Amino acid sequence: MFDEKMLLDLQSTLGSRGILISFSGRFSQGIIEELGEAIMEHMKAEDRPRNDIYNVFAIFVEITHNIKKYALSKLGSDFYDQIYSSGIVTIGRNEDGYFICSGNLVEKTDADKLANALDALIPLDKDQLKKCYKEQRKKDLPPGSTGAGLGLIDIARKSSKPLHYSMGDMQDLAFFTLTVMV
Amino acid sequence: MEKLLIESTKATPLIDFDSDKSTLVLKGQSYPENAFKFYDPVFNWIDSYLATNPQEIHVEVRLSYVNTSSSKCIMMLLESFEKAFQRGVSIQLNWYCDMENESEVECAEEFKEDMTFPFEIIPEAEKE
Repeated sequence: MFDEKMLLDLQSTLGSRGILISFSGRFSQGIIEELGEAIMEHMKAEDRPRNDIYNVFAIFVEITHNIKKYALSKLGSDFYDQIYSSGIVTIGRNEDGYFICSGNLVEKTDADKLANALDALIPLDKDQLKKCYKEQRKKDLPPGSTGAGLGLIDIARKSSKPLHYSMGDMQDLAFFTLTVMV
Repeated sequence: MEKLLIESTKATPLIDFDSDKSTLVLKGQSYPENAFKFYDPVFNWIDSYLATNPQEIHVEVRLSYVNTSSSKCIMMLLESFEKAFQRGVSIQLNWYCDMENESEVECAEEFKEDMTFPFEIIPEAEKE
């Protein structure tokens, strides 16, 4: 039930994991802007290097835009509402630095494609990622594209550790999680 | 031709393109919900402007953050300038950066690497 204990438990879970900001639900552009600004302000107040602030902000923007665009691309699917409400992003800090941890439901066929794309990116070093980014950016986009296919490469470039992902089996769908460190 | 003026918002930069002065200014952050939709009028204006055969173009960029889909749009814009430069149009682009921010400088450098027209990366004066 929604009582004092539930809220205190939630707060203690967030605190014990070092989570500074969390959002669960439908991402709108307005929410992305506000949360992005909030994390920037928090890190500025903590006197973090500008580069770290920029990277955390950039990763947050790419992840949340990906989640939102993916959900919108499922308009008309039986799972649209379920997918759209499934997004969650947390930003926090632990002994290794800042982390951006996200989760959202994806259709099984998309889960396989996404896993393949990530498996191809994870072993690449920074120079290979840069080359891959620049090549992709030069490609002509098919008409009607809503993205440039650069988001995951950019996230991998800005991450201080290899990306970590998982696909949890949820009957018809998969719960995709991604953890990025700065 | 008419000027193109789009005021900045949190997620979109100021676009101030003045054909009379041959000066194009982009300033702010760029991470709109749909970058292609935001930059579409910018591309159209540039196409019409380049069709007027300008002699010289000054471009001033101060973009403190560009997300990946905006980065693709900026690349398309720079490619139009590159084509004009190859046709003999004189182009000077000044990209102002916070030099303490490695990622911001790297972003500017990676555009510069792919262009042959004069492209300067200039330290942004400290703001108070």
